[in-house]
Amino acid sequence: MPVVSSWWRRTGFLSAIWQAALVAGVCLAGWWLYGNLVENLTRTRIPTDFDFLTQPTGFAIPENFGFDPSLPIWRMVLIGVQNTFLAGLVGVLLASIVGLIVGVARLSSNWLVARMAQVFVEGFRNTPPLVVIVFFSFAVFSFGPLPVFPEALDLKLPGSDSNWLVLSKSRIGIPSLSAERHTGLFWIIVVCGVVAAAGVWVWRSRRHVRTGEPHHRVLWALGSFALVVIVAFLALGGPYAWSLPARSENGRRLISGFGTSAAYLSLTLALALYTASHIAEVVRASILAVPKGQSEAAGALALSPFQRYRHVVLPQGLRIAVPPTINQYLNLVKNTSLGTVVGYADVTNLTRTSIGNANPAPQSIAVLMGVYLVFSLVISLLLNIYNRSVQLRER
Amino acid sequence: MTATVPPPENHPTGAERGAPARPTARAWARENLFNNRHNSVLTVLIGAGLVALTIYGARFLFVTGQWEPVRTNLTLLMMGTFPRAEQWRVVVQVYLLCAAVGLVWGGLTASSRDRARDAGVPFSRARLRDGIRRWWPVFVLLVALLGMTRTWLPLAFVASALAVGVVARRVMEALGAAWRGPAWFFAGICALAGWQVVSGTGGIAWWWGSALVAAAVLRTTRNVRTDARWQPLARFALIAGAIAVVRAVYAQFDFSGVGWDDWSGFQLNLVAAAASIVLAFPVGLAAAVGRRSTLPAVRWLSVGYIELIRGVPLITLLFMGDLFLGFFLPTEDPLSKVTRAIAVMTLFTGAYLAEIVRGGLQAVPRGQVEAAQAIGLSAPRVLGMIVLPQALRAVIPALVGQFINLFKDSTLLSIIALTEILRIRESIHGQREFLIVGIAETLVFVAFAFWALAFTMSRESQRLERRLGVGER
Amino acid sequence: MTIRRTVLLSAAVVVALVAAACGGDDDATTTPAPPPATDAPADTAAPAPPPATEAEPPPTTEDTVALSQAGGRLAEVLDRGSVRCGVRDALPGFNFLTPDGEHEGFDSDFCRVIAAAVLGDAGAVDFVDLATSDRFTALQSGEIDVLVRNTTFTASRDGKEAANFVYTTLYDGQGVVVPASTGITDLEGLEDANICVAQGTTTELNLTDVMRSRGISFNPVTFGESSEARVGYTAGQCEAFTSDKSSLAVFKFEIEAGGGDEQFILPETISKEPLGPAVLDGDTEWAQVVQWAVMATIQAWEFGLDSGNIASATGDNPALGRFLGEEGFDPGLGLPSDFAVQVVSQVGNYEEIYRQHLEPLGLPLDGSVNDLWTNGGLLYVPPYR
Repeated sequence: MPVVSSWWRRTGFLSAIWQAALVAGVCLAGWWLYGNLVENLTRTRIPTDFDFLTQPTGFAIPENFGFDPSLPIWRMVLIGVQNTFLAGLVGVLLASIVGLIVGVARLSSNWLVARMAQVFVEGFRNTPPLVVIVFFSFAVFSFGPLPVFPEALDLKLPGSDSNWLVLSKSRIGIPSLSAERHTGLFWIIVVCGVVAAAGVWVWRSRRHVRTGEPHHRVLWALGSFALVVIVAFLALGGPYAWSLPARSENGRRLISGFGTSAAYLSLTLALALYTASHIAEVVRASILAVPKGQSEAAGALALSPFQRYRHVVLPQGLRIAVPPTINQYLNLVKNTSLGTVVGYADVTNLTRTSIGNANPAPQSIAVLMGVYLVFSLVISLLLNIYNRSVQLRER
Repeated sequence: MTATVPPPENHPTGAERGAPARPTARAWARENLFNNRHNSVLTVLIGAGLVALTIYGARFLFVTGQWEPVRTNLTLLMMGTFPRAEQWRVVVQVYLLCAAVGLVWGGLTASSRDRARDAGVPFSRARLRDGIRRWWPVFVLLVALLGMTRTWLPLAFVASALAVGVVARRVMEALGAAWRGPAWFFAGICALAGWQVVSGTGGIAWWWGSALVAAAVLRTTRNVRTDARWQPLARFALIAGAIAVVRAVYAQFDFSGVGWDDWSGFQLNLVAAAASIVLAFPVGLAAAVGRRSTLPAVRWLSVGYIELIRGVPLITLLFMGDLFLGFFLPTEDPLSKVTRAIAVMTLFTGAYLAEIVRGGLQAVPRGQVEAAQAIGLSAPRVLGMIVLPQALRAVIPALVGQFINLFKDSTLLSIIALTEILRIRESIHGQREFLIVGIAETLVFVAFAFWALAFTMSRESQRLERRLGVGER
Repeated sequence: MTIRRTVLLSAAVVVALVAAACGGDDDATTTPAPPPATDAPADTAAPAPPPATEAEPPPTTEDTVALSQAGGRLAEVLDRGSVRCGVRDALPGFNFLTPDGEHEGFDSDFCRVIAAAVLGDAGAVDFVDLATSDRFTALQSGEIDVLVRNTTFTASRDGKEAANFVYTTLYDGQGVVVPASTGITDLEGLEDANICVAQGTTTELNLTDVMRSRGISFNPVTFGESSEARVGYTAGQCEAFTSDKSSLAVFKFEIEAGGGDEQFILPETISKEPLGPAVLDGDTEWAQVVQWAVMATIQAWEFGLDSGNIASATGDNPALGRFLGEEGFDPGLGLPSDFAVQVVSQVGNYEEIYRQHLEPLGLPLDGSVNDLWTNGGLLYVPPYR
C-alpha cells in the first residue's frame, strides 16, 4: 500500500506541471518569434501568405525548353522536385554499384586492388562533397579532348547514320526509352503482374510448408512477373521503344534520347563517388561482420558455395548493411541540393532563384523543407518496412 | 556512419618480433599480386593505369599546373579578410593551441606510461617514425604551404609553433602524476585564452572568461564537502558572483576587439566547425536525454526537433539562417552573418549529436542505473555521475566523425556568401590576372587542405575507437 | 516508429505552414491595410511622432520626421563608427579582393565615399560579401547600411524588395558575349543555344523576356553568381555568356590579354541597367546622406576638383564655396559641412574613380553615357545649395 502524500507532490501532478510549463514556454517563444516575423515582414512589405505560388515564375528553367516562364511557381517547384528525384535516383544507383565493387575490392586478395580501393575510399570520404562537385563541373569537364557544344563527337551505330552517343563538354546524349503507344494500359498490366507474382510467391510458400518440397519462390515469382510483362509488351506492339539521341536541325538541341548537361553529370557523378566511398565501407564491414565459422558450418552441412552465400552469408550481411546504406541514400538525396552551385535546376536551386526574384523567402523555404521532409519520409518508410521484415525473420 | 571494423593492421609487428622471417620481395609479390591468373591480369592492368596516373599527376603538380593564383593568395586563402594588423592574434592563438595540444598529448603519454608500469608491461614511447606515419598528410600540407611562401617568416613560425608543442609535451611527461591534474586544467586555459586573444575583449568574449572562472571555481570547491543543505546554493552563488565580477571587469574595456565576424578563409572553416560542435554539445545532450524522457511533452519536442532537422539538407537550413532568421528577432541589433550561420550549424549538429548520444545512452547497461538508484542517488545524479560518463566515453569516435562531417560541411557556408576558403577561392578568380588561370589548381589546393586534416582526424579517431574498444574488455 | 514520428512531424509542419498562411491573412485583414505603399510608414508614425534623439540634426521637413522614425540609420552609423557596405568580392573592376585582403574597385570606392562623407574616414567601411540571392535580405534585415553591388535599379526592387535606390553610379546595359570564332553576330544566331547566366538577377529575367518576345528558344545555364557563370562559360559549358556590358568588356579584355580565345560582344543591348547604391526603404534621412555623398563625387568633377587640388581649392565663386563647406554652409542633410572635401581628398572625384578602376579594363569614359552632362553624358546632379 503506497503512502498517500499530498496531491501536489504526486509524480503525475508534478510531471503534468512540468510539461505544461515546457509546452507553454515553447508556445510563448514560438508566438514571440512568429510575431516578430509578421511584424518584420509587414514592415518591409513582404507578403506573409502563400499566394506567390500562383504567380508567374518569370524565368526560364535550364534543360527545360518546354517550360513557359509565365507558368506559376508551383509548376516550377514540381519541375525542381522532378530534377531532384532524377539526380537522386541515378546517384543512388551509381553509388550502390560503385560502392559494392569498391567494398568487395577492399577485401581482395590482390594487394594492389585492395590498396587502390582503400585510396578511393579514403580519398573521397575525406573531401567535402561540395568541392568535388565544383571540381567536376569547372575542372574535369573543361579538360579533355571533347569539343564545346554544338560541336560534338557523334558516335554512330555501325551501318546507320543515327547517333547512339553524343559527347561534348557541356552536353551528353545517350539512348533512352520513349513512350510509343498504350503505355497506360501497359503499366496497368505491369501492376497486375506484380500482384500475380505475389500470388505465386504465396502459393509456392504454402506448398513448401505443406509438402516440404523446395519452394524456389524467388525464381517462380520473378518468372511469372517477367512472363506477364513480356507478353504484355509484345501484345501491345511495343509500348516503349529505344529513342536515340538525335539533334535538331540547327544541331543545337538534343530532341530525342536522354540529354544531360555538365551540371547534372558533375552533380550525380560527384555525389555517387562520394556516397560510394561510404557505402564501400558499409559493404566491407558487413562482409567482415559475418563470422567465418558461419560459412564453415554451412560447408560442413554440405551446402554448395552458392547456397552458403545465398542462405548463410548474404542474409546476415544484408541485415547489417541495409540500414546504414539507406541512411547513405538519404544523405545523397539531401546532398543533391548542392547542385545549386553548379547550376543544376534542382528544387533548391529553383527556389533560390525565385527568392532572388523578389518572392518571399520564409514561405519559399518552408515549401522547400516540406519537399525534403517528404523525401526523407518515403526513404525512412522503406527502411522501416525492411527492418520489420528482417526482425520478423529473426524471431 | 563509421566503419565498425578496424582496418587491417599493416604494422609489420610479426617482422619486428622476428618470429616469421620477413618474406622476400619476390615471394611477397607472388603471394599478394600474382597469386592466380585473374589477379595477375588485374595487377598488370591496374599497375599500368597507376603509372600513367602518377606521371600525369606529377606533371600536373610540378610542371603544367599554374599554381601562381594559390601562391600569390596563400594568406588570403588561409585567413581571408581578417585584418592584417591583427594578424598577431592568430599567431598567438596557434602558439597557445600548440601548447595545449602538447600538454594533453604529454599527459596521455605519461598516464599510459604509468598504467603500463603498474601493470608490469614494457612501455615504448611513440617514435618519430610512427608520428610521421600517422600525421603525414598534415606534414605534406605544411610542406606544400611553406613551399609556396616567399619569405622565411612562415617557416620560422611553423617551426617555433611545433617546438612549443614538443616542449609542452616533454614538460608534461616529466611532471609527476600529482601535477598532471592542474596541468590538464592549464591546457584548457591555454586553449580558451587563445580564443580570448583572437576575439579581443568585446562581443561574446566575456562568456569565455566566465566559463573559465566558473570552471576554476567548480574545480577548487570540488573537494569541499559539507553536509549542509545549502552547499549547492552556496556554490551557485559563488559562481554567479564570479561571473558578475568578470562581466564587470570586461565592461571596463571599450575595445571591441576582433570577433568571429572577422574570421575568414580557412580559419573560418576550422573555427566555425569547432565552435558549432562545442555549442551543439549541450543541445544534443539535452535532446538525447529528452528523447528518452518519460514525460511525453519533453519526448515529443525532442523528437520533433531531431527529426525535423535531420530530414532536411543543411543548405536549406543555412538559407533559412541567411535569409530570414533575422526576421524572427527584433531588428534593433541584427545578428551578423557569421553568428547566424554558427547558430544554424549548432542547431543542425545538435540533432545529429542527439542521435549519437542516444546510441551511447542505450549502450549503458540497465544494471548501472538500477545499482545507482539502489544506493539512493537522485535522478539527475544517476544521469550525471553514472550514465553520461559511460555513454559519452563510448561515443567519442562518433563525435570525432561528426566533427569531420561538420568541418567538411563548413564549405557550404560559401553558398550563403560567408568568406570561407571556397568563397575566397572564387574571389581569387575575380582578380584580373587570375580570371581564368588556375581554376583547377585552386580547387585541388582547397580539396587537399580539407582532405589532409579530415583524413588524419578520421584515422586518429579509428585508433581511439580501437583503444577504447580494447579498454572495455 | 520512425515512420509514425515523421508522419506526425510532417503533419505538424503542414499545420504550421497553414497556420502561418492563415495568420498572415488574418493579420492583413485585421490591421487597416494601407492601400498606397508609400503611405504605410507615415501611417504608422502618425499617431505619435517619435521624439528625435539629441544626436540628430533638427528635422527640416515634416517628411523627415515621419519617415525616419526611431533615430534612423545615420545615428546608428555614427554611433558604430563604420559603414556596413554590402558588396561582391569577385567582380573584377568593381570589387575584388587583393592578396592582402583589401577590397578594390569601382563599387568599393563608392563605399569609401559614403564612409568619408559620413564619418570623415574613408577606411571606416566594413565590407560584407553578399550572394546574389541574399543581397536584398541583408538590406531588409538591417544587416548592411548600404548595398553597392552592381545592382540594377528596377521598379519591383524599389517596391517589393523594399530597396531605395539613390543616384545611379553607372549607366550600363546588358549584353551577350560569344567566342569570336563562332561567327554569331546577333541574338537570332543563338537559337537553342546554352547561355550562361547568373540566377536571381535582372540579367536572367531580361534574357528570358527578350528571347521570349522574339520567339527565340534558348537554354539558360544558371549559376549562383555571375563569377561562376563566367567560369562556366570559359569551361565550355555554354556557347554564350550574358551579363552587364561593363562586366563583359572587362571579361573580354582580360581573356584576350591572357592569350585566351578572341571574344565578341554582340552589338545589341538587351536592356537598360542603371547600377547604383541602394538603402532600405523608409529612412529618408539616410538615403539623402548616401545620395549626396555619391553626388558629391560628380559635382566635384564638374567643378574640376580632384584629390590633387582640393586641398588648395578656395571658393572663388559662391557655389564652390558652399560645396567646400566654407562659412559652415549646412543644407541640413545630416552631413558634416566639409563632407565633400573629405570625399574628394580621401577617395577622389567620379572621374578619378572611374578612370582608375574601369578604364584600364577597356571601358573608356570619354564620350560614354557615364560622362558629364557638359560632355554629352548622363551625369547631371542637382545644385548644392
